[in-house]
Amino acid sequence: MNPRAYFENFFQRNGRALGTFLLAVVSVWILILILAPQLFMVDFSFRHNLPPAEIGGAKDTYTLEHYKFMVYGSAQSQGSYNTVDLGVFLRTLLAALFVTMFDLAICYPVAYYLAQSASGGWGRLMVLSLIVPFWVNEILRAFAFRILFGTTGVMNNMLMAVGILDQPYDFIREDVALYAGLGYAFILLMIFPLYNAIESLDKNQIEAARDLGASWLRIHFRIVVPYAKPGISSGCTMVFMLTAGALAAPQILGGPSSLWFTQLVFQWFNQGQNWNRGSAYALVLLISTIVLVTIAMKIFKVRLGDIGK
Amino acid sequence: MSANVELQDVWIRFGDFVAAREVNINIQEGEFFSFLGPSGCGKTTLLRAVSGFLEPSQGNVLIGGKNMAGIGPNKRPTALIFQNLALFPLMAVWENIAFSLEVRGVGKVQRRKKAEELLELIALPDQGDKMCHELSGGQRQRVAIARALAAEPDVLLLDEPLSALDLKLRQHMRTELRAIQQRVGITFIYITHDQGEALTMSDHVAVMSEGIIEQVADGNTIYDRPETPFVASFVGENNLFRGRVTDVDGDYALVDTNVGSIRGRREATAGEHALKKNDMAFVFVRPESLKFANGEKFDNTIGANIHTEEFEGNFWQVYMDVAGGDKRIKMSMVNDGGSPGHEPGADVNLGFSADLAVALPEGSLAAE
Amino acid sequence: MRSDKFLQWLMIAFLLAFFAYLFGPLLIMSVTAFNSSQFPRVAPFDCFSVEWFNVLIQDTDLMEGLRNSLIVGFGVVVLAVPIGLAGALMLSQVAPRLRAWYYTVVISPILIPGVVLGISTLVFWRMLSRSLGADFLYDGIFLTIVGQATFIAAYSMLVFLSRLQRFDAVQEEAALDLGATHVQTFRKVLLPFLKPAIGSAAVLAFLASFENYNTTVFTILSDKTLTTVLASKVRYGINPSISALAVIIVFLTLLGAVVFEIMQRREGARQKESARIARGEIKTRSKQRNIMTEPAMITLAVITALGLGSVYFAGTLGVEDCKQVAKAEKRALSQKRVKERQTLQMFRRAAPSKETGAGTATAPKVKAKGTEGYQSIFAPSTLEGMAGQENKQEEEKVEAKGTEGYGNIFAPQNLEDQVDSDKKTE
Repeated sequence: MNPRAYFENFFQRNGRALGTFLLAVVSVWILILILAPQLFMVDFSFRHNLPPAEIGGAKDTYTLEHYKFMVYGSAQSQGSYNTVDLGVFLRTLLAALFVTMFDLAICYPVAYYLAQSASGGWGRLMVLSLIVPFWVNEILRAFAFRILFGTTGVMNNMLMAVGILDQPYDFIREDVALYAGLGYAFILLMIFPLYNAIESLDKNQIEAARDLGASWLRIHFRIVVPYAKPGISSGCTMVFMLTAGALAAPQILGGPSSLWFTQLVFQWFNQGQNWNRGSAYALVLLISTIVLVTIAMKIFKVRLGDIGK
Repeated sequence: MSANVELQDVWIRFGDFVAAREVNINIQEGEFFSFLGPSGCGKTTLLRAVSGFLEPSQGNVLIGGKNMAGIGPNKRPTALIFQNLALFPLMAVWENIAFSLEVRGVGKVQRRKKAEELLELIALPDQGDKMCHELSGGQRQRVAIARALAAEPDVLLLDEPLSALDLKLRQHMRTELRAIQQRVGITFIYITHDQGEALTMSDHVAVMSEGIIEQVADGNTIYDRPETPFVASFVGENNLFRGRVTDVDGDYALVDTNVGSIRGRREATAGEHALKKNDMAFVFVRPESLKFANGEKFDNTIGANIHTEEFEGNFWQVYMDVAGGDKRIKMSMVNDGGSPGHEPGADVNLGFSADLAVALPEGSLAAE
Repeated sequence: MRSDKFLQWLMIAFLLAFFAYLFGPLLIMSVTAFNSSQFPRVAPFDCFSVEWFNVLIQDTDLMEGLRNSLIVGFGVVVLAVPIGLAGALMLSQVAPRLRAWYYTVVISPILIPGVVLGISTLVFWRMLSRSLGADFLYDGIFLTIVGQATFIAAYSMLVFLSRLQRFDAVQEEAALDLGATHVQTFRKVLLPFLKPAIGSAAVLAFLASFENYNTTVFTILSDKTLTTVLASKVRYGINPSISALAVIIVFLTLLGAVVFEIMQRREGARQKESARIARGEIKTRSKQRNIMTEPAMITLAVITALGLGSVYFAGTLGVEDCKQVAKAEKRALSQKRVKERQTLQMFRRAAPSKETGAGTATAPKVKAKGTEGYQSIFAPSTLEGMAGQENKQEEEKVEAKGTEGYGNIFAPQNLEDQVDSDKKTE
């Protein structure tokens, strides 16, 4: 379209003052707040970790050293891999996937029940009671799990009282606390897309299927799930990305053996004092989550536009 | 203040699609003018061109003799009443009405006064403080009119304003609108697909089909003397006979149809609309023009067989089959207390005068 | 159908379990806030006390973090709401072909992991501040506001978009047609319609900013917000004052939810009334009473006041006495255990060949007699002088239970002792 005509039309529709406001604000947002920092971070991750004096100087060249470090470790000799970092990376992604599936499994029935069966006031009460726990800070929620799963916590007390355990089980060390905490953290983001998607399904379709003798399993798999696909993918995407990128829960609930990839990034910024390397790691996290989500969306045939609250 | 509206050679295109084609219309100041046509014929597009929401691809729009090219809707001396009314839901009734004064910077007291005057005009006194969603459909309709009138336009444009109302209310509003127009005296341009509205309210009617103005005339002329088959078939009901012109004499033509030879009136004696010998023609006869030929002499008689008779209260509708015909023909008889006089299944003779039969060149008809 | 009933019960059971998972941790955490023990726990519940709330208020770090969180929250609202509004308005005006791209770019901050946003904001603005020589740009509060606003603006945009969807655009045309300029149309027609959305976007922005951690922890530099203080406390020094904070937050949240529900009910009643007026059933609308005088609100306020009052009193009355008693009990218990351990060890050394099983069987009687004898020997080092009459009886009872319990635990140690003593004798 003709740019000049477009701008003329734009200012005609909005008036001079409003038009400038819109253009200015949106440009600043997109260019300076969204794009520039990301692009700069990408560039930054390819540069050496230099003290401020040397930036822009002779030593400031492009390098792949940080990415190489993540794969090969400091030995730099081909043949030995940085198993620690790579292992953490893979584990983080796999664990995020696991948590996503877990959340999907437990949220689907609740969302379905809410959307199809719960009526009026009762339904609203349930919705409200779903939201309330999530207005509590995520740190406090992780803390609650820490207390719950600690050696003197309720879980251990209960299990010992019932006789299943003889001595306190170190839930934290065994990562159970972490997964329970992570599963808990993003339930809301899984339930609401599911709820919205299922709610718009015409109840009559389900009635018709039951009339025709379909079993519950079939009804769900053939009718509800395909219809709710946008909601499912939206919920899973958000939970996956948020879990992979979670920082608070692993820091608070993680045992010594369950380092989260984000913690590695955090370490490079704090203890390691190598911001360039941290940026590289952060970029790896970003790209891998995007790639995985895109692949999943292609497989399940869902579009980005479906993801909205 | 009132103004005339002229559309000169107006074409409106959207990409390849032509919404309005070579429109030439002159609307006199102070008159009630209607555009009548089926949905999608282009009448709303023309209205938006007059009000300033779109510019014609070709041609000129003049209001009060002034060319409106490049002048936005907020600067034209027009006010538009939208099909869905578009009242401002967050403002009270009186604030809606006084909106055009508010944007001009008129003070609150004066605005309120003017709003009260208009509320009197539309017979809704003391309703000013209500919110719009607290009013009924008909009341909201009137508020929309008052709001437009408050802007003191030279031309008032109405886009199918009565289509959302029920029948009784529609009929009531027809008379009201006409009364308001005569009282206020400004030009009304009215868009509708309902011929009853167009015919009862307007000084002149423009019948439109697919972007083309088929005929512009007053109501009577449109009804009795349609110039194209579209107008004849769209406005009111009409029985159609097809045939070939066998003879032409003066204002009349003789057409050989499937039901026999019919003598009908030609609309034009010269020019491209004039029927000539051997032309293919349509002959239109209104249901109320047909009569049972019980011995009287008629210009035209045709034989028919009664299929059904329906009682409609003020009319008897008699549906008949004709020999050689594909469609049923319809006859309307005024209910004078008795029955039509013939039973379904009977063979009858129908008669009608040549003046009541309209013979036109073949052309496109209104959709069923 | 039987399977239907079964499914129904299954569903109800599942729902109960689900909500237990959801609320359980919060409930437990709330309970620990009132337990006077040093470490947050539910059992054993020492004394009901509200002392941790005092500790909370006195904690300067936490208070400073709270103050900064409020400042940042305010800044984010001021920045994110107008940006979100502009973004939403632009969406409908961008050329249709570009629209999908525009939406993707603008929504992306929500999908990008918070840590990445924090890092990118940090490195970018550090570079900017250095190259422009503008030190004020490299400030924890400023960076946090900017970093958070980037994605919170996207959230607020979504709020506006959903509100805009219900806007009848024809109203704008009507306003123009009646002579309004574009700015007037925006101000008098669109903005009033968006007002509720502005409100919810602002609340949403503030809450999202207040509870943000992933991004904030990078951008906050040497300052702190409530969340970063909390996080470091939780990792390095846990005490129930954190639970106390949680209780306050949960309580405020519940309050907020109830108030919200009450407001919704009122709105529903108003709308019903409007419909009735339109139908002509009633002439004028009744004046809606001030929300503060609503019976539900008054009940809520009364219950809250009473509840808080009683909790406060229960928590401060007699706490000290209770704690003394609890301390005493604990000391007694630990004394017993130490005594047992040592007598058991002495006993083991005296008769190394005796098997654990036999040992424990005869031990109770020996112990009951033995402790009096050893009392004088061990008095200075471990026993802190609780030798009352009732305690003796308690001791016997405790002992009898205690040794059996410790039988298992000491078994390996016994072996070790045996090995040691064997070694010594060698």
